[in-house]
Amino acid sequence: MRPYVGAELAILAIGGTLIVGVYLVAVLDRLLGAVVAGAPIRPFALVVDPARSAAQLLVQQRRTTERPDAPGWAFAPALFFGLGALALAMVPLGPNLVVADPATGFVVFSAAIAFVMIAVFLHGWSPNSPFALHGAYRYGAAALSFQIPFLLAMLATALPAQSLSIVDIVRAQETLWNVVREPLGLPIYLIVGVGVSFWGPLNLSDASDLAEGTSVEDSGIGRLLWKVARAGMLVAVAAMGAAGFLGGWWGPLLPGPVWVLVKTLVLLVMLIASGHLLARVRIESFVLVAWAILIPLALLNVFVSGATLL
Amino acid sequence: MIAGPIVDVAFWLFAIGSVVAGYRVFRTDSMVRAAFYLLASFTGVGGILVLLGAEFLGMVLILMMAGEMLVMAIVMVMFMMNPAGLNPMVMVHQNRIAAGAGIVAFVALAGVGLVGQFPDRPAPEPAAATAQLGTELLGDSMLVFQTAGVALLSTMIGAIAIAGRRGRYGVAEDGSVEPPLQPDEERAR
Repeated sequence: MRPYVGAELAILAIGGTLIVGVYLVAVLDRLLGAVVAGAPIRPFALVVDPARSAAQLLVQQRRTTERPDAPGWAFAPALFFGLGALALAMVPLGPNLVVADPATGFVVFSAAIAFVMIAVFLHGWSPNSPFALHGAYRYGAAALSFQIPFLLAMLATALPAQSLSIVDIVRAQETLWNVVREPLGLPIYLIVGVGVSFWGPLNLSDASDLAEGTSVEDSGIGRLLWKVARAGMLVAVAAMGAAGFLGGWWGPLLPGPVWVLVKTLVLLVMLIASGHLLARVRIESFVLVAWAILIPLALLNVFVSGATLL
Repeated sequence: MIAGPIVDVAFWLFAIGSVVAGYRVFRTDSMVRAAFYLLASFTGVGGILVLLGAEFLGMVLILMMAGEMLVMAIVMVMFMMNPAGLNPMVMVHQNRIAAGAGIVAFVALAGVGLVGQFPDRPAPEPAAATAQLGTELLGDSMLVFQTAGVALLSTMIGAIAIAGRRGRYGVAEDGSVEPPLQPDEERAR
């Protein structure tokens, strides 16, 4: 039987990480935007601005649409946020420092990523609004395309560990991190990671060319919760990337948990910076690239990492 | 094998939730809602599989169903005269046959549950169960699964070839029209 922490500690750990992480994403997004734009950086404004935006959304009057699916609309952000929390719960800070380490952690994480499709589709479908529905269909097309490369990229990390447990996957990287052992894995994972939280170049479903797509009809706390859930998923993706490809807690000098935080932060900055440095791709091109290039590359990655283990 | 009061509570939550969601599939008036209720029902079944010690099977069920239900919802909306699946529509038809089939299936399954002999041995550890499953898939049952896999793959390639732009009856831009049902029937161009 693998160790699980108690419910209170789990809620405290994951909730605390998500609150800090989501706020950090909001600050980093503004900071990197200012850096890329060459605008003056005012630290106080950067730190306060997310709280101000959140407060503004909290007191904003809520509006609704004609005949929406109200339960689905309310449920979608909660589901999305819960999936981020589920993914984060399996990221180990140390060999025995993890909220949950199911024997099939890799499959649980993949299921959480697959369920994001449902959350986003529900969010775009339920307001009964054309642009929102367009956004939902876009996410469906994009998500079905990046699901297979994502699974294959993650699968390659399970091969050297000979286990589906995330802790075992990190443990197997003691001598050689997966980013070196299988160089194709991390880039594919990051592309998918940007897609899962529909951030930056892969923000197709909530894109400005659709007047914010699935969240076009959101207002007030609903809009705030959706933004929070998106940022939370970005944090979870970065943390899992650090565990799966950057060797998790392994590293010289510093203690293990600090290494996990540093690596997560590096990936988080890369993911957020992509929004300010890269143009948004077109959905048609992305679907073509995903099926025709990413899947063969991911398969190659699996074959190479399998062959090196023989 | 996991046990304890929390497991019992979880089992009943999953079980009742699955049944209620399954019932709602047929009582709702929208195809997209029906697909989401079906997904909720399957997720409950996946949770029960995890409680039974079949962690891998349960999680894979949940993983696969998420994508499948989304595809199903989109395809249903595409083929039905119901924009976006938000317009109300009746989700049941052929009620007598369906009720008969439902009763027969329920009695048969309940009979198996009541009369059948179940092995009374502790379930293996989740990791061991996953390993056994892998050995089975790539061992004794390999021929069956590979045959099914190749058949499914060729079906998918065929479906894509038919549905593609250069489809079965010519290029889509040229106005591909299927041939008439009667061989001598002239097509009005």
